[in-house]
Amino acid sequence: MLVYALNRTLTLVPTLLAASFLVFMFIHLIPGDPASILLGDAATPEEVAELSRELGLDEPLWTQYALWLANVLQGDLGTSVFFREPVLSVIASGAETSILLATMTMLWIVLFGVPIGIVSAIRQGSWVDQATSGGAMLFASVPTFWLGLYLILIFSVGLGWFPSSGFPSLADEGGASNLRYLVLPSLTLAAPNAALIIRLIRASMLDVSREDHVRTARAKGLHPARVAIKHIFRNALIAVSAAFGFTFAALVSEAVVTETVFSLPGIGRLVVQSILRRDYPVIQGVILIIVVFYMVINLLVDLAYASLDPRVSLK
Amino acid sequence: MSVPASVASVFRGRVLATAGTCWLLVVGIAAVGAPLLAPFDPLEFDPFVRLSEPGWPHLLGTDHFGRDSLSRAIYGARMAILIGSGSVLIALVAGGLIGMLSAYFVRLGHFLMRVVDVLMAFPALLLALVLMTLLDRSVLNTIIVIGIVYATTTARILFGMTLKLKRDVFVDAAICSGAGHASILFRHILPNLVSPMLVQASFIFAFAQLQAAALDFLGLGLPPEVPSWGNMLSEERVYVTRAPWLLIFPGALIILSVFSMNLVGDALRDNIDPRFKDDIAGV
Repeated sequence: MLVYALNRTLTLVPTLLAASFLVFMFIHLIPGDPASILLGDAATPEEVAELSRELGLDEPLWTQYALWLANVLQGDLGTSVFFREPVLSVIASGAETSILLATMTMLWIVLFGVPIGIVSAIRQGSWVDQATSGGAMLFASVPTFWLGLYLILIFSVGLGWFPSSGFPSLADEGGASNLRYLVLPSLTLAAPNAALIIRLIRASMLDVSREDHVRTARAKGLHPARVAIKHIFRNALIAVSAAFGFTFAALVSEAVVTETVFSLPGIGRLVVQSILRRDYPVIQGVILIIVVFYMVINLLVDLAYASLDPRVSLK
Repeated sequence: MSVPASVASVFRGRVLATAGTCWLLVVGIAAVGAPLLAPFDPLEFDPFVRLSEPGWPHLLGTDHFGRDSLSRAIYGARMAILIGSGSVLIALVAGGLIGMLSAYFVRLGHFLMRVVDVLMAFPALLLALVLMTLLDRSVLNTIIVIGIVYATTTARILFGMTLKLKRDVFVDAAICSGAGHASILFRHILPNLVSPMLVQASFIFAFAQLQAAALDFLGLGLPPEVPSWGNMLSEERVYVTRAPWLLIFPGALIILSVFSMNLVGDALRDNIDPRFKDDIAGV
């Protein structure tokens, strides 16, 4: 297991370096001089010349990359053109919203997805199964922003149960009750993902239920519910746990659309606004952070997977 | 099995998948016959009938420029088909070639599949957003970007499938009979991959609709004047309280089309080689 963990972690390094090189190249792919792109339109020629020297723009590309990477590793992702603040602190200000949104979304996925998936598998072929499988596929076919708009229309404008937009920090007035701002966005984001989890749980439970140990458990005369939960679901959960990890990692970027619909001050909306404002240092920084986050979560998922299922690390 | 018979076997007993196919045919007819079917010019402004309710002569009402929603929806079918099939084409050709070549030529594969790994380190929507930042808003660029995003997953899936096929006896037989690399890859291996590729194509077609709509919504997809279902939603969303029907119709069109395509993909998947069944995730 330790060997597997080390191996798996080491393979991350080249991929991470290559991905960071792509992110670095992003600024160079935009037509124009990188220094003036990074400083924005308001910069003076002196400032541009100064930054060009700092970035080593007359040096070979590899040296520029090394300089950039050294800065990044020290936490210096550049300065936002729009906010006139370090990129890292701009991104950090969106982190609370994004992490809370992703966590609440996962909560709905587990709360709705898991029981529905189990029932759907146990009652395979019944009308319950057909309805939930069809329903799950239907939800996966809905554009998230459309769902979000109608949730706002019904639950904010119509019934007035939840606020329609924005999110004050938990540290602000209102404290934990501010979480109500995230109810509709997290439900919006959860719908298509819960649909995937439902189908996945159903499929893996059906796979496990064909295995010998399940037949033995049934032959011993165990109660069907006990077989379903202890013998089938717990084994199916191994495959599903990986999906939970991937989903959580993907949520941060999938939230781009949802955060825009609900005007949430998260990282996803920051990406879109920075693209529209041509705030390239922020775009570059956010992409880098999301990619690193995504890869680290995937690594943790793989390691957790290997420790849950010893067969993985023996391959 | 003849083609009509195999088509019939896919849809036998599958009411929903058959209904989905019929709906996709309707979308296809609307796309081809848009100039004949649309009652109005989809781009024509009429300030006197802004935000009018569904009725006569504007069956689905008009948007805030007074453009006829039904006509825009019909022309939107063109965009849906164009974006769907364009992204499928790019994803299958590029992804298919990368996947097959990588599995067949092991050394090349070491390099190419690492590149795919790196691209897959970027979450799909984020990759699409980044690429759209570098390109102008246009129909072609939207298609290219969505195609590239799904080319990565397609490459990985076909890589796995080609690896499985490569060990098969018929490949050894082809080698013994003196077949060259190109012949083995494209005349012996590729025909076995056609049906899983068809399944993959239907899922990509479905996902591409959602991605394109999301890009339109964020203002980073098709140019705003192009009549697409995503643009209809994106432009009229501020009127959601005043004219909710303006969002119901395009939304329903997207949902129905994506749902139908997913159903078709599901039906096709149940009929492919069982070895490949678990490789294609779909919805």
